[in-house]
Amino acid sequence: LREILVRERRTRTGTDAHTNTGAGSRAGTEQTVLITGASGGVGRGIALACAATGWRVWIGARREAEGQRVAREVDAAGGRGRYLSLDVTDADAVTRGMAEIAERDGPLDGLVHNATSGLSPKPVRLAEAPLAELRDHFSVSARGTWLLARAAFPQLCASRGSLLLLTSEAGFEGKARLSPYAAAKAMQRGIARALAREWGPHGVRVNCLAPLAASPAMETAFRNDPTMSARVLGRTPLGRLGDPVHEIGAAARFLLSRDAAYVTGHTLMVDGGSCPVT
Amino acid sequence: VSADERLVLGRDGGLAHRLAEALGGELRLLPRAADDASWARWRAELAAGPRYRQIVVAMGSEPPAPPRGLAELEPDVWQQRAEEPFLAWCVALGAAAVCCADAGAIVAVAETPAPLDAAGFAAESGLADAVSALIRSIAQSEGGRGVRANAVTTPARLGPGAPDDGRGDPAAPAPPLARFPGRLVPEVVGAVRLLLGDEACGITGRTLPADCGRSW
Repeated sequence: LREILVRERRTRTGTDAHTNTGAGSRAGTEQTVLITGASGGVGRGIALACAATGWRVWIGARREAEGQRVAREVDAAGGRGRYLSLDVTDADAVTRGMAEIAERDGPLDGLVHNATSGLSPKPVRLAEAPLAELRDHFSVSARGTWLLARAAFPQLCASRGSLLLLTSEAGFEGKARLSPYAAAKAMQRGIARALAREWGPHGVRVNCLAPLAASPAMETAFRNDPTMSARVLGRTPLGRLGDPVHEIGAAARFLLSRDAAYVTGHTLMVDGGSCPVT
Repeated sequence: VSADERLVLGRDGGLAHRLAEALGGELRLLPRAADDASWARWRAELAAGPRYRQIVVAMGSEPPAPPRGLAELEPDVWQQRAEEPFLAWCVALGAAAVCCADAGAIVAVAETPAPLDAAGFAAESGLADAVSALIRSIAQSEGGRGVRANAVTTPARLGPGAPDDGRGDPAAPAPPLARFPGRLVPEVVGAVRLLLGDEACGITGRTLPADCGRSW
Protein backbone atom coordinates (compact mmCIF):
# COMPACT_ATOMS: atom_id res chain seq x y z
CA LEU A 1 0.00 0.00 0.00
CA ARG A 2 2.83 2.38 0.85
CA GLU A 3 4.36 1.75 -2.55
CA ILE A 4 1.07 2.55 -4.25
CA LEU A 5 0.70 5.77 -2.28
CA VAL A 6 4.25 6.86 -3.04
CA ARG A 7 3.66 6.17 -6.70
CA GLU A 8 0.43 8.13 -6.56
CA ARG A 9 2.19 11.10 -4.97
CA ARG A 10 4.89 10.97 -7.64
CA THR A 11 2.23 10.80 -10.29
CA ARG A 12 0.53 13.88 -8.90
CA THR A 13 3.77 15.80 -8.67
CA GLY A 14 5.27 14.50 -11.89
CA THR A 15 8.48 13.47 -10.15
CA ASP A 16 8.67 9.86 -11.27
CA ALA A 17 10.39 9.57 -14.63
CA HIS A 18 8.82 6.18 -15.17
CA THR A 19 5.29 7.33 -14.59
CA ASN A 20 3.18 8.89 -17.29
CA THR A 21 1.64 11.99 -15.84
CA GLY A 22 -0.02 13.09 -19.05
CA ALA A 23 0.39 16.46 -20.65
CA GLY A 24 1.89 18.70 -18.07
CA SER A 25 4.37 16.17 -16.82
CA ARG A 26 7.20 18.60 -17.44
CA ALA A 27 6.12 21.45 -15.22
CA GLY A 28 2.77 22.58 -13.94
CA THR A 29 0.69 24.30 -16.57
CA GLU A 30 3.51 24.85 -19.04
CA GLN A 31 2.02 22.60 -21.68
CA THR A 32 2.55 22.69 -25.39
CA VAL A 33 -0.12 21.18 -27.58
CA LEU A 34 -0.69 21.06 -31.32
CA ILE A 35 -4.23 20.83 -32.65
CA THR A 36 -4.77 20.06 -36.32
CA GLY A 37 -7.74 21.47 -38.18
CA ALA A 38 -8.03 24.11 -35.49
CA SER A 39 -8.98 27.08 -37.65
CA GLY A 40 -12.63 26.55 -36.76
CA GLY A 41 -15.27 24.22 -35.34
CA VAL A 42 -14.29 21.52 -32.86
CA GLY A 43 -10.56 22.17 -33.31
CA ARG A 44 -11.01 25.81 -32.36
CA GLY A 45 -13.11 24.72 -29.38
CA ILE A 46 -10.36 22.44 -28.12
CA ALA A 47 -7.79 25.20 -28.64
CA LEU A 48 -9.77 27.68 -26.56
CA ALA A 49 -10.43 25.13 -23.83
CA CYS A 50 -6.68 24.46 -23.61
CA ALA A 51 -6.00 28.20 -23.65
CA ALA A 52 -8.16 28.66 -20.57
CA THR A 53 -5.63 26.59 -18.63
CA GLY A 54 -2.72 28.69 -19.84
CA TRP A 55 -1.29 26.21 -22.31
CA ARG A 56 0.76 27.01 -25.38
CA VAL A 57 -1.52 26.08 -28.24
CA TRP A 58 -0.33 25.59 -31.79
CA ILE A 59 -3.09 26.01 -34.33
CA GLY A 60 -2.26 23.62 -37.17
CA ALA A 61 -4.29 24.56 -40.25
CA ARG A 62 -4.07 25.25 -43.95
CA ARG A 63 -6.14 28.44 -43.82
CA GLU A 64 -3.70 31.01 -42.49
CA ALA A 65 -6.04 33.95 -41.87
CA GLU A 66 -8.48 31.81 -39.89
CA GLY A 67 -5.66 30.01 -38.07
CA GLN A 68 -4.03 33.29 -37.06
CA ARG A 69 -7.37 34.53 -35.82
CA VAL A 70 -7.81 31.49 -33.57
CA ALA A 71 -4.24 31.93 -32.32
CA ARG A 72 -5.17 35.46 -31.24
CA GLU A 73 -8.30 34.10 -29.56
CA VAL A 74 -6.07 31.69 -27.66
CA ASP A 75 -3.98 34.64 -26.44
CA ALA A 76 -7.11 36.46 -25.35
CA ALA A 77 -8.39 33.39 -23.52
CA GLY A 78 -5.27 33.14 -21.35
CA GLY A 79 -3.05 30.83 -23.36
CA ARG A 80 -0.29 31.48 -25.84
CA GLY A 81 -1.40 30.95 -29.39
CA ARG A 82 0.85 30.10 -32.33
CA TYR A 83 -0.17 29.42 -35.90
CA LEU A 84 1.42 26.57 -37.86
CA SER A 85 0.79 26.23 -41.58
CA LEU A 86 0.02 22.54 -41.82
CA ASP A 87 -1.40 20.11 -44.33
CA VAL A 88 -1.55 16.81 -42.45
CA THR A 89 -1.36 14.80 -45.67
CA ASP A 90 2.01 16.33 -46.58
CA ALA A 91 4.86 14.36 -44.98
CA ASP A 92 7.41 17.16 -45.37
CA ALA A 93 5.04 19.75 -43.92
CA VAL A 94 4.36 17.55 -40.90
CA THR A 95 8.07 16.95 -40.29
CA ARG A 96 8.88 20.65 -40.66
CA GLY A 97 6.03 21.61 -38.38
CA MET A 98 7.16 19.31 -35.60
CA ALA A 99 10.69 20.69 -35.85
CA GLU A 100 9.40 24.26 -35.68
CA ILE A 101 7.39 23.52 -32.54
CA ALA A 102 10.27 21.75 -30.81
CA GLU A 103 12.67 24.56 -31.65
CA ARG A 104 10.45 27.23 -30.20
CA ASP A 105 8.69 25.51 -27.30
CA GLY A 106 10.48 22.21 -26.66
CA PRO A 107 8.84 18.83 -27.04
CA LEU A 108 5.10 18.60 -27.51
CA ASP A 109 3.08 17.47 -24.50
CA GLY A 110 -0.06 16.81 -26.47
CA LEU A 111 -1.01 16.27 -30.08
CA VAL A 112 -4.64 16.43 -31.18
CA HIS A 113 -5.46 15.21 -34.69
CA ASN A 114 -8.79 16.85 -35.38
CA ALA A 115 -8.50 17.65 -39.08
CA THR A 116 -10.88 15.71 -41.28
CA SER A 117 -11.64 15.59 -44.98
CA GLY A 118 -13.67 18.43 -46.38
CA LEU A 119 -15.82 15.71 -47.92
CA SER A 120 -16.89 14.41 -44.52
CA PRO A 121 -20.47 15.71 -44.68
CA LYS A 122 -20.95 14.86 -48.38
CA PRO A 123 -23.51 12.05 -48.84
CA VAL A 124 -22.48 9.28 -51.23
CA ARG A 125 -23.38 5.64 -51.90
CA LEU A 126 -20.39 3.44 -51.17
CA ALA A 127 -20.71 1.71 -54.56
CA GLU A 128 -20.52 5.06 -56.33
CA ALA A 129 -17.88 6.83 -54.24
CA PRO A 130 -15.18 8.14 -56.56
CA LEU A 131 -11.76 6.70 -55.80
CA ALA A 132 -10.36 10.19 -55.40
CA GLU A 133 -12.88 10.90 -52.66
CA LEU A 134 -12.05 7.65 -50.87
CA ARG A 135 -8.37 8.62 -51.01
CA ASP A 136 -9.14 12.05 -49.57
CA HIS A 137 -11.02 10.60 -46.60
CA PHE A 138 -8.17 8.18 -45.98
CA SER A 139 -5.41 10.73 -46.46
CA VAL A 140 -6.62 13.26 -43.93
CA SER A 141 -7.80 10.85 -41.22
CA ALA A 142 -5.61 7.75 -41.46
CA ARG A 143 -2.53 8.89 -43.36
CA GLY A 144 -2.56 12.09 -41.32
CA THR A 145 -2.61 10.01 -38.14
CA TRP A 146 0.36 7.96 -39.32
CA LEU A 147 2.40 10.98 -40.43
CA LEU A 148 1.71 12.89 -37.24
CA ALA A 149 2.39 9.88 -35.04
CA ARG A 150 5.66 9.16 -36.83
CA ALA A 151 6.88 12.73 -36.57
CA ALA A 152 5.68 13.41 -33.03
CA PHE A 153 6.70 10.16 -31.37
CA PRO A 154 10.18 11.30 -30.26
CA GLN A 155 8.74 14.48 -28.77
CA LEU A 156 5.89 12.70 -27.02
CA CYS A 157 8.39 10.20 -25.61
CA ALA A 158 10.52 13.05 -24.29
CA SER A 159 7.56 14.74 -22.62
CA ARG A 160 5.71 11.52 -21.75
CA GLY A 161 2.81 13.17 -23.44
CA SER A 162 -0.28 11.99 -25.23
CA LEU A 163 -1.91 11.68 -28.63
CA LEU A 164 -5.61 12.35 -29.04
CA LEU A 165 -7.49 11.43 -32.22
CA LEU A 166 -10.85 13.00 -32.99
CA THR A 167 -13.10 10.26 -34.28
CA SER A 168 -16.87 10.12 -34.64
CA GLU A 169 -19.89 8.11 -33.66
CA ALA A 170 -19.97 7.22 -37.35
CA GLY A 171 -16.88 5.15 -36.67
CA PHE A 172 -18.88 3.00 -34.28
CA GLU A 173 -22.20 2.65 -35.98
CA GLY A 174 -21.50 3.34 -39.64
CA LYS A 175 -23.57 5.69 -41.77
CA ALA A 176 -25.73 4.63 -44.70
CA ARG A 177 -24.89 7.71 -46.73
CA LEU A 178 -21.52 8.68 -45.21
CA SER A 179 -19.82 5.31 -45.26
CA PRO A 180 -16.35 6.42 -46.47
CA TYR A 181 -16.26 8.98 -43.67
CA ALA A 182 -17.42 6.34 -41.18
CA ALA A 183 -14.71 3.95 -42.35
CA ALA A 184 -11.96 6.55 -42.08
CA LYS A 185 -13.06 7.51 -38.57
CA ALA A 186 -13.31 3.88 -37.50
CA MET A 187 -9.82 3.27 -38.82
CA GLN A 188 -8.48 5.90 -36.44
CA ARG A 189 -10.01 4.04 -33.50
CA GLY A 190 -8.34 0.79 -34.48
CA ILE A 191 -5.03 2.54 -34.95
CA ALA A 192 -5.34 4.22 -31.54
CA ARG A 193 -6.10 0.91 -29.85
CA ALA A 194 -2.92 -0.65 -31.24
CA LEU A 195 -0.83 2.46 -30.72
CA ALA A 196 -1.80 2.68 -27.05
CA ARG A 197 -0.21 -0.74 -26.62
CA GLU A 198 2.87 0.21 -28.64
CA TRP A 199 3.48 3.51 -26.90
CA GLY A 200 2.36 2.66 -23.38
CA PRO A 201 5.75 1.24 -22.40
CA HIS A 202 7.25 4.62 -23.41
CA GLY A 203 4.85 6.45 -21.12
CA VAL A 204 2.87 7.92 -24.01
CA ARG A 205 -0.92 7.71 -23.92
CA VAL A 206 -3.19 7.41 -26.96
CA ASN A 207 -6.93 8.05 -26.86
CA CYS A 208 -9.85 8.99 -29.09
CA LEU A 209 -12.72 11.36 -28.58
CA ALA A 210 -16.00 11.08 -30.48
CA PRO A 211 -17.86 14.40 -30.33
CA LEU A 212 -21.31 15.46 -31.37
CA ALA A 213 -20.74 19.18 -31.67
CA ALA A 214 -22.38 22.27 -33.03
CA SER A 215 -19.83 22.86 -35.77
CA PRO A 216 -19.71 24.12 -39.36
CA ALA A 217 -19.34 20.49 -40.55
CA MET A 218 -22.49 19.48 -38.70
CA GLU A 219 -24.36 22.48 -40.08
CA THR A 220 -23.33 21.40 -43.58
CA ALA A 221 -24.41 17.81 -42.93
CA PHE A 222 -27.80 19.05 -41.67
CA ARG A 223 -28.16 21.19 -44.79
CA ASN A 224 -27.24 18.28 -47.08
CA ASP A 225 -29.74 15.96 -45.42
CA PRO A 226 -32.85 17.79 -44.17
CA THR A 227 -33.97 14.75 -42.17
CA MET A 228 -30.69 14.50 -40.29
CA SER A 229 -31.34 17.15 -37.67
CA ALA A 230 -34.50 15.48 -36.38
CA ARG A 231 -32.82 12.08 -36.55
CA VAL A 232 -29.72 13.14 -34.63
CA LEU A 233 -31.34 15.30 -31.99
CA GLY A 234 -34.30 12.97 -31.60
CA ARG A 235 -32.15 10.16 -30.33
CA THR A 236 -29.87 12.30 -28.16
CA PRO A 237 -30.98 12.15 -24.51
CA LEU A 238 -29.64 15.62 -23.84
CA GLY A 239 -31.52 16.88 -26.91
CA ARG A 240 -28.89 19.24 -28.26
CA LEU A 241 -25.47 19.46 -29.89
CA GLY A 242 -22.39 19.91 -27.72
CA ASP A 243 -20.62 23.22 -27.26
CA PRO A 244 -17.23 23.00 -28.97
CA VAL A 245 -15.36 24.93 -26.25
CA HIS A 246 -17.03 24.19 -22.94
CA GLU A 247 -18.16 20.62 -23.55
CA ILE A 248 -16.10 19.05 -26.35
CA GLY A 249 -12.98 21.12 -25.70
CA ALA A 250 -13.08 20.53 -21.96
CA ALA A 251 -13.31 16.76 -22.47
CA ALA A 252 -10.36 16.86 -24.87
CA ARG A 253 -8.37 18.91 -22.38
CA PHE A 254 -9.10 16.28 -19.73
CA LEU A 255 -7.71 13.52 -21.93
CA LEU A 256 -4.58 15.57 -22.57
CA SER A 257 -4.11 16.48 -18.93
CA ARG A 258 -2.52 14.74 -15.97
CA ASP A 259 -6.00 14.03 -14.65
CA ALA A 260 -6.18 11.39 -17.38
CA ALA A 261 -2.72 9.98 -16.63
CA TYR A 262 -4.11 6.46 -16.35
CA VAL A 263 -6.38 6.62 -19.38
CA THR A 264 -5.11 5.12 -22.62
CA GLY A 265 -6.50 3.11 -25.52
CA HIS A 266 -9.93 4.59 -24.83
CA THR A 267 -12.57 6.33 -26.94
CA LEU A 268 -14.53 8.89 -24.97
CA MET A 269 -18.00 9.59 -26.36
CA VAL A 270 -18.85 13.26 -25.86
CA ASP A 271 -22.15 13.16 -27.67
CA GLY A 272 -24.93 13.80 -25.20
CA GLY A 273 -25.67 10.07 -25.16
CA SER A 274 -26.46 10.02 -28.87
CA CYS A 275 -24.52 6.97 -30.04
CA PRO A 276 -26.20 3.68 -29.16
CA VAL A 277 -22.94 1.79 -29.62
CA THR A 278 -20.03 2.25 -27.25
CA VAL B 1 -27.81 -21.83 -51.69
CA SER B 2 -25.89 -23.41 -54.56
CA ALA B 3 -22.31 -22.47 -55.35
CA ASP B 4 -23.34 -20.52 -58.43
CA GLU B 5 -25.32 -18.20 -56.19
CA ARG B 6 -22.27 -17.42 -54.06
CA LEU B 7 -19.56 -14.89 -54.91
CA VAL B 8 -16.18 -14.41 -53.22
CA LEU B 9 -14.42 -11.09 -53.71
CA GLY B 10 -10.83 -10.43 -52.76
CA ARG B 11 -7.72 -8.47 -53.47
CA ASP B 12 -5.15 -11.18 -53.75
CA GLY B 13 -5.09 -14.88 -54.28
CA GLY B 14 -4.39 -16.28 -50.83
CA LEU B 15 -7.24 -15.77 -48.41
CA ALA B 16 -9.99 -15.24 -50.98
CA HIS B 17 -8.91 -18.34 -52.93
CA ARG B 18 -8.99 -20.52 -49.85
CA LEU B 19 -12.38 -19.19 -48.78
CA ALA B 20 -13.78 -19.81 -52.26
CA GLU B 21 -12.43 -23.37 -52.14
CA ALA B 22 -13.83 -24.03 -48.69
CA LEU B 23 -17.22 -22.45 -49.27
CA GLY B 24 -17.64 -22.97 -53.00
CA GLY B 25 -18.54 -20.11 -55.29
CA GLU B 26 -17.28 -17.82 -58.00
CA LEU B 27 -14.06 -15.96 -57.23
CA ARG B 28 -13.51 -12.42 -58.51
CA LEU B 29 -10.28 -10.61 -57.63
CA LEU B 30 -9.61 -6.88 -57.70
CA PRO B 31 -7.08 -5.88 -60.34
CA ARG B 32 -3.57 -6.01 -58.92
CA ALA B 33 -2.76 -2.59 -60.30
CA ALA B 34 -4.10 -0.19 -57.72
CA ASP B 35 -4.94 2.55 -60.15
CA ASP B 36 -8.26 4.29 -59.81
CA ALA B 37 -9.44 3.61 -63.35
CA SER B 38 -9.00 -0.15 -63.25
CA TRP B 39 -10.69 -0.45 -59.84
CA ALA B 40 -13.58 1.75 -60.91
CA ARG B 41 -13.97 -0.35 -64.07
CA TRP B 42 -13.91 -3.57 -62.03
CA ARG B 43 -16.61 -2.20 -59.74
CA ALA B 44 -18.76 -1.09 -62.66
CA GLU B 45 -18.46 -4.50 -64.37
CA LEU B 46 -19.62 -6.26 -61.22
CA ALA B 47 -22.50 -3.85 -60.79
CA ALA B 48 -23.65 -4.62 -64.34
CA GLY B 49 -23.43 -8.38 -63.82
CA PRO B 50 -25.63 -10.99 -62.11
CA ARG B 51 -26.87 -10.81 -58.52
CA TYR B 52 -25.78 -13.29 -55.86
CA ARG B 53 -27.55 -14.52 -52.75
CA GLN B 54 -24.36 -14.82 -50.73
CA ILE B 55 -21.24 -12.70 -51.04
CA VAL B 56 -18.00 -13.07 -49.08
CA VAL B 57 -15.35 -10.33 -49.20
CA ALA B 58 -11.86 -11.17 -47.93
CA MET B 59 -8.67 -9.08 -48.05
CA GLY B 60 -5.76 -10.93 -46.54
CA SER B 61 -2.21 -9.84 -47.20
CA GLU B 62 0.22 -12.27 -48.79
CA PRO B 63 2.44 -13.03 -47.00
CA PRO B 64 0.88 -12.09 -43.65
CA ALA B 65 2.20 -8.78 -42.31
CA PRO B 66 4.84 -8.99 -39.57
CA PRO B 67 4.52 -6.85 -36.42
CA ARG B 68 5.97 -3.35 -36.92
CA GLY B 69 5.51 -0.22 -34.84
CA LEU B 70 3.35 2.40 -36.54
CA ALA B 71 6.01 5.08 -36.13
CA GLU B 72 8.54 2.80 -37.84
CA LEU B 73 6.56 2.11 -40.98
CA GLU B 74 8.18 3.42 -44.15
CA PRO B 75 5.93 5.14 -46.71
CA ASP B 76 5.82 2.15 -49.07
CA VAL B 77 5.00 -0.21 -46.22
CA TRP B 78 2.24 2.10 -44.97
CA GLN B 79 0.90 2.27 -48.50
CA GLN B 80 0.90 -1.52 -48.78
CA ARG B 81 -0.49 -2.29 -45.33
CA ALA B 82 -2.98 0.56 -44.94
CA GLU B 83 -3.90 2.74 -47.89
CA GLU B 84 -4.27 0.14 -50.64
CA PRO B 85 -6.26 -2.28 -48.45
CA PHE B 86 -8.53 0.55 -47.27
CA LEU B 87 -9.38 1.50 -50.83
CA ALA B 88 -9.77 -2.15 -51.80
CA TRP B 89 -12.22 -2.75 -48.96
CA CYS B 90 -14.28 0.30 -49.93
CA VAL B 91 -14.38 -0.71 -53.60
CA ALA B 92 -15.12 -4.39 -52.95
CA LEU B 93 -17.75 -3.84 -50.27
CA GLY B 94 -19.40 -1.18 -52.44
CA ALA B 95 -19.57 -3.71 -55.25
CA ALA B 96 -20.88 -6.37 -52.87
CA ALA B 97 -23.69 -4.06 -51.74
CA VAL B 98 -24.82 -3.66 -55.35
CA CYS B 99 -24.31 -7.29 -56.41
CA CYS B 100 -26.16 -8.78 -53.47
CA ALA B 101 -29.64 -9.99 -54.35
CA ASP B 102 -32.65 -8.91 -52.31
CA ALA B 103 -32.75 -10.81 -49.00
CA GLY B 104 -29.15 -11.91 -49.59
CA ALA B 105 -26.22 -11.89 -47.19
CA ILE B 106 -22.78 -10.29 -47.23
CA VAL B 107 -19.93 -11.36 -44.94
CA ALA B 108 -16.57 -9.57 -44.79
CA VAL B 109 -13.54 -11.43 -43.43
CA ALA B 110 -10.87 -9.15 -41.97
CA GLU B 111 -7.55 -10.29 -40.55
CA THR B 112 -6.55 -8.60 -37.33
CA PRO B 113 -5.09 -9.56 -33.98
CA ALA B 114 -7.32 -9.26 -30.94
CA PRO B 115 -6.96 -5.93 -29.12
CA LEU B 116 -4.71 -7.53 -26.49
CA ASP B 117 -2.23 -8.47 -29.22
CA ALA B 118 -2.61 -5.39 -31.41
CA ALA B 119 0.83 -3.82 -30.84
CA GLY B 120 2.68 -3.86 -34.15
CA PHE B 121 -0.54 -4.15 -36.13
CA ALA B 122 -1.96 -0.64 -36.05
CA ALA B 123 -2.77 -0.67 -39.75
CA GLU B 124 -4.53 -4.02 -39.56
CA SER B 125 -6.42 -3.05 -36.40
CA GLY B 126 -7.52 0.14 -38.08
CA LEU B 127 -8.63 -1.69 -41.20
CA ALA B 128 -10.68 -4.17 -39.18
CA ASP B 129 -12.52 -1.29 -37.49
CA ALA B 130 -13.02 0.38 -40.87
CA VAL B 131 -14.53 -2.84 -42.20
CA SER B 132 -16.89 -3.02 -39.22
CA ALA B 133 -18.05 0.54 -39.93
CA LEU B 134 -18.52 -0.21 -43.63
CA ILE B 135 -20.49 -3.35 -42.81
CA ARG B 136 -22.75 -1.40 -40.46
CA SER B 137 -23.17 1.25 -43.16
CA ILE B 138 -24.22 -1.42 -45.69
CA ALA B 139 -26.52 -3.07 -43.15
CA GLN B 140 -28.31 0.28 -42.91
CA SER B 141 -28.31 1.20 -46.61
CA GLU B 142 -29.33 -2.24 -47.92
CA GLY B 143 -31.45 -3.45 -45.01
CA GLY B 144 -34.59 -2.11 -46.64
CA ARG B 145 -34.42 -4.81 -49.31
CA GLY B 146 -33.65 -7.53 -46.81
CA VAL B 147 -29.89 -7.66 -47.31
CA ARG B 148 -27.88 -8.57 -44.22
CA ALA B 149 -24.24 -7.53 -43.79
CA ASN B 150 -21.87 -8.85 -41.13
CA ALA B 151 -18.15 -9.30 -40.59
CA VAL B 152 -15.81 -11.93 -39.17
CA THR B 153 -12.39 -11.05 -37.80
CA THR B 154 -9.60 -13.55 -37.35
CA PRO B 155 -6.09 -13.51 -35.84
CA ALA B 156 -5.32 -16.86 -37.48
CA ARG B 157 -2.31 -15.50 -39.37
CA LEU B 158 -1.47 -12.27 -37.48
CA GLY B 159 -0.07 -11.71 -34.03
CA PRO B 160 0.87 -14.40 -31.55
CA GLY B 161 0.07 -17.95 -32.53
CA ALA B 162 -0.26 -21.43 -31.23
CA PRO B 163 2.54 -22.89 -29.08
CA ASP B 164 5.60 -23.85 -31.13
CA ASP B 165 4.48 -22.20 -34.36
CA GLY B 166 7.24 -19.58 -34.11
CA ARG B 167 4.97 -16.56 -33.86
CA GLY B 168 5.38 -16.06 -30.15
CA ASP B 169 3.00 -16.78 -27.34
CA PRO B 170 0.05 -14.54 -26.51
CA ALA B 171 0.40 -12.29 -23.49
CA ALA B 172 -1.39 -13.28 -20.30
CA PRO B 173 -4.12 -14.19 -19.83
CA ALA B 174 -4.14 -17.20 -22.10
CA PRO B 175 -6.99 -17.37 -24.63
CA PRO B 176 -9.94 -19.40 -23.33
CA LEU B 177 -9.73 -22.00 -26.10
CA ALA B 178 -6.53 -23.96 -26.67
CA ARG B 179 -7.33 -23.86 -30.40
CA PHE B 180 -6.16 -20.22 -30.45
CA PRO B 181 -5.52 -18.53 -32.84
CA GLY B 182 -7.77 -20.77 -34.91
CA ARG B 183 -7.46 -21.65 -38.58
CA LEU B 184 -9.29 -20.75 -41.73
CA VAL B 185 -11.02 -24.11 -41.57
CA PRO B 186 -12.95 -24.76 -39.44
CA GLU B 187 -12.98 -21.66 -37.22
CA VAL B 188 -13.25 -18.84 -39.76
CA VAL B 189 -15.23 -20.70 -42.39
CA GLY B 190 -17.62 -21.90 -39.69
CA ALA B 191 -18.33 -18.34 -38.57
CA VAL B 192 -18.78 -17.21 -42.18
CA ARG B 193 -21.24 -20.06 -42.90
CA LEU B 194 -23.18 -19.18 -39.77
CA LEU B 195 -23.58 -15.53 -40.79
CA LEU B 196 -24.36 -16.35 -44.42
CA GLY B 197 -27.01 -18.88 -43.54
CA ASP B 198 -30.72 -18.46 -42.91
CA GLU B 199 -30.26 -19.29 -39.24
CA ALA B 200 -28.66 -15.85 -38.89
CA CYS B 201 -31.67 -14.16 -40.53
CA GLY B 202 -32.02 -11.71 -37.64
CA ILE B 203 -28.36 -10.76 -37.42
CA THR B 204 -26.99 -7.81 -39.33
CA GLY B 205 -24.39 -5.09 -38.82
CA ARG B 206 -22.38 -7.26 -36.44
CA THR B 207 -18.71 -8.16 -36.30
CA LEU B 208 -17.98 -11.62 -34.94
CA PRO B 209 -14.42 -12.29 -33.73
CA ALA B 210 -13.53 -15.88 -34.66
CA ASP B 211 -10.58 -15.76 -32.30
CA CYS B 212 -11.17 -18.54 -29.79
CA GLY B 213 -12.27 -16.11 -27.14
CA ARG B 214 -9.29 -13.78 -27.32
CA SER B 215 -11.50 -10.67 -27.48
CA TRP B 216 -15.00 -9.83 -26.37
